[in-house]
Amino acid sequence: MSRRGLQGQRPWIFQRLTAIYLAVYFVYFIVALLAGAGADYESWRAWLTHPLMFTATGLFFGALLLHAWIGVRDVILDYVHPFALRLTALTLVGLFLLGCGLWALKVLILATLG
Amino acid sequence: MRREGRPVFLNVLQIRLPIPGIVSFGHRISGVLLFLAIPLSIYLLDRSLHDPQGFSDVKALTGSILFLPVLLALLWSLSHHLLAGIRFLFIDIDLGVDKPTARKTAWGVLGGGVVLALILLGVWL
Repeated sequence: MSRRGLQGQRPWIFQRLTAIYLAVYFVYFIVALLAGAGADYESWRAWLTHPLMFTATGLFFGALLLHAWIGVRDVILDYVHPFALRLTALTLVGLFLLGCGLWALKVLILATLG
Repeated sequence: MRREGRPVFLNVLQIRLPIPGIVSFGHRISGVLLFLAIPLSIYLLDRSLHDPQGFSDVKALTGSILFLPVLLALLWSLSHHLLAGIRFLFIDIDLGVDKPTARKTAWGVLGGGVVLALILLGVWL
């Protein structure tokens, strides 16, 4: 594992905190689907745009992107060693996740307004 | 990072990975798959929230036979990543660290991941 020059403990803790939130959200999501939250368009949208669920889902995407960033960052640090290549890979992944985050936020906000 | 004088043995075909190692490797593979699936998921969420037509399009697409391999890969990734992750969290707080227990929970995660994926498939379809 090559973590030279990089902080290790903070990402380690964030990875676990976000994991717990993602797991709880996931279980709730499945239970709600079983209870009919996604039965038709109206109930699906009403459920996801409810202020509580909107907030929980916004937080979910925040946690997901942070979790994915730390995880993929670790994979890159393990396998990609040349500095330039590593920097490029990390930058691309970071931009990709940032883009996904903004897109998810836009989807949620538009669904709530629309 | 290779240092002089230290032996390196990385013949992947000859390394016999123990079960906990397979679970760990699966956790990484499933994590990367889930990472790659993020845009697809946001796209489907977007379409499904757009209008009733989009909602039924998403249902039809994700329920189609052509999509089944993708769906199975994603549901297994979710299940395995979740269960293996919970196992790691317990190991972090020193529960289930001894070898016999670690082996048992590793088998449980491997099997449980497949079972949970099939249950989720049932919920979905």
